[in-house]
Amino acid sequence: MDSSEATGMQFGIFTVGDVTADPATGITPTESERIRATVAIARKAEEAGLDVFATGEHHNPPFVPSSPTTLLGYIAGQTERIILSTSTTLITTNDPVKIAEDFSVLQHLSGGRTDVMLGRGNTGPVYPWFGQDIRQAVPLTVEHYGLLRRLWREEVVDWEGKLRTSLQGFTLAPRPLDDVPPFVWHASIRTPEVAELAAYFGDGLFANHIFWPASHTQAMVELYRRRFEHYGHGRPEQAIVGLGGQVFMRRNSQDAVDEFRPYFDNAPVYGHGPSLEDFTALTPLTVGSPAQVIEKTLGFRSYVGDYQRQLFLMDHAGLPLKTVLEQLDLLGEEVVPVLRKEFAVGRPTDVPAAPTHQSLLRARRDEQASQPDHEDSPEVP
Amino acid sequence: MTAMKLTIVTGGLREPSSTRLLADRLTTAATRELERLGDQADPSFVELRPLGHPIMDAMLTGFVGEALQSAFDTVARADGVIAVTPAFNASFSGLFKSFFDVLPEQTLADMPVLIGATGGTERHSLVLEHALRPMFSYLHAIVSPRAVYAATGDFGSPTGSALANRITTAAADFARLLRACGPRAGREAADEDLATMQRLLGGAT
Repeated sequence: MDSSEATGMQFGIFTVGDVTADPATGITPTESERIRATVAIARKAEEAGLDVFATGEHHNPPFVPSSPTTLLGYIAGQTERIILSTSTTLITTNDPVKIAEDFSVLQHLSGGRTDVMLGRGNTGPVYPWFGQDIRQAVPLTVEHYGLLRRLWREEVVDWEGKLRTSLQGFTLAPRPLDDVPPFVWHASIRTPEVAELAAYFGDGLFANHIFWPASHTQAMVELYRRRFEHYGHGRPEQAIVGLGGQVFMRRNSQDAVDEFRPYFDNAPVYGHGPSLEDFTALTPLTVGSPAQVIEKTLGFRSYVGDYQRQLFLMDHAGLPLKTVLEQLDLLGEEVVPVLRKEFAVGRPTDVPAAPTHQSLLRARRDEQASQPDHEDSPEVP
Repeated sequence: MTAMKLTIVTGGLREPSSTRLLADRLTTAATRELERLGDQADPSFVELRPLGHPIMDAMLTGFVGEALQSAFDTVARADGVIAVTPAFNASFSGLFKSFFDVLPEQTLADMPVLIGATGGTERHSLVLEHALRPMFSYLHAIVSPRAVYAATGDFGSPTGSALANRITTAAADFARLLRACGPRAGREAADEDLATMQRLLGGAT
């Protein structure tokens, strides 16, 4: 049993994969340097005792991770234990057959250390690059995901939809490892439809959390938990929730603020906007000592309930690799061990642990043992 | 009887502000008209000048701070809005427009709105008809038929002047509109999105 199964929660990092000039030095890494740095960061994450490494998917500069399973496959070969995931895989613009194939192969290569976080993507121009129509973003999400689920669960698929050519007698190769599909998270920044989608299928909901005041995240997680129960997957507190977070640490909190401020002020997305102080007051961003990071992170539970996965954004806005690796050491040595211990305190025993390949495989075997005649029990309510 | 909640959005920049002055007079007149018709008014003010930086943060990064969120909430829970801006370069001020650009979608849908503007000379008065009214119509507000423009000169003229008459008449129209529309149930864009998703999922199996 690994440490995340012991305490029910997984801790990890997610990367956007931006190539951004370091505002302290003016130096911009090459794409090659950025990709290699990402691999070094993933390896360090495992070494530091983290449970999850997730990469974004972007198809335009200044981002490098356009081919996530290529990257994750390489990382799988260099690691032993860490779960490889995405943040996010675009369910709208990727073909569901290709997603099923790519992640199936990754499952086999990584020995089941694979799950996937699906998102719609919010960059309009990407849709036509992949032959899709942004006006169909929501129907594409629903139709593609419906097909993806079937490809992973049914041996021979006959399928007809509105937005993709139909399939007749299609069999996914390779089949998912142990016939257990990768666990699926649905990611949202602020879209309640995503919470509805995750609840409908009893999948996980990952709230990006980092750009928005906590109240937005709270409202979305509440909606998801309520609808999870409505669709018959369990009680609200048994739904599977993940959260993003963002931290920068030094032992002395003022050193952290001084060092991080230029990265914050010039960061893509929120740079040249609110002050570091305003942003830390209203979002999960913590810039300070490890103790401050622990305190703020433990506070997330007060508004989303007991949850399953906490991912931190550690490597964006031009932070140099050396700094990021130092951050991961602090996270692994001083923060996560305390979080594991504290989050376990008072956690009800019937709140599920974060799903893993092993736990899903066990559940599948238990179910088969109790229902010998119904190997293909329905998944959808 | 519960009072009609009026939210007054005012985009004046200086202190004292003639835009705020016009907003105050419109509010007083609307309150008096509502009372005359047997209703009451409960006014709340949203001054945009102190929200300048938060509005720009929201524009650039999507980040909505506490003060701006509170302004959004004040507008959302109103039964009617009085919106007053200075006229800049033949239009509303950029600050005034930016506030409504970052205000969440649907906030003003079905909202009775009384519009007003101020300017150095009366030559700019059609800014109400050519800039404010189309924007609020686009936002699905119900724009009161009579808008009020006040030039600097208007504030110098004696009481009982043309401006006072315009304010009283516009306020009377607005009060009737408010009463006809009644207390307002806010709409959430999110609810409509959710209904779409539920419908799609119903056919997804």
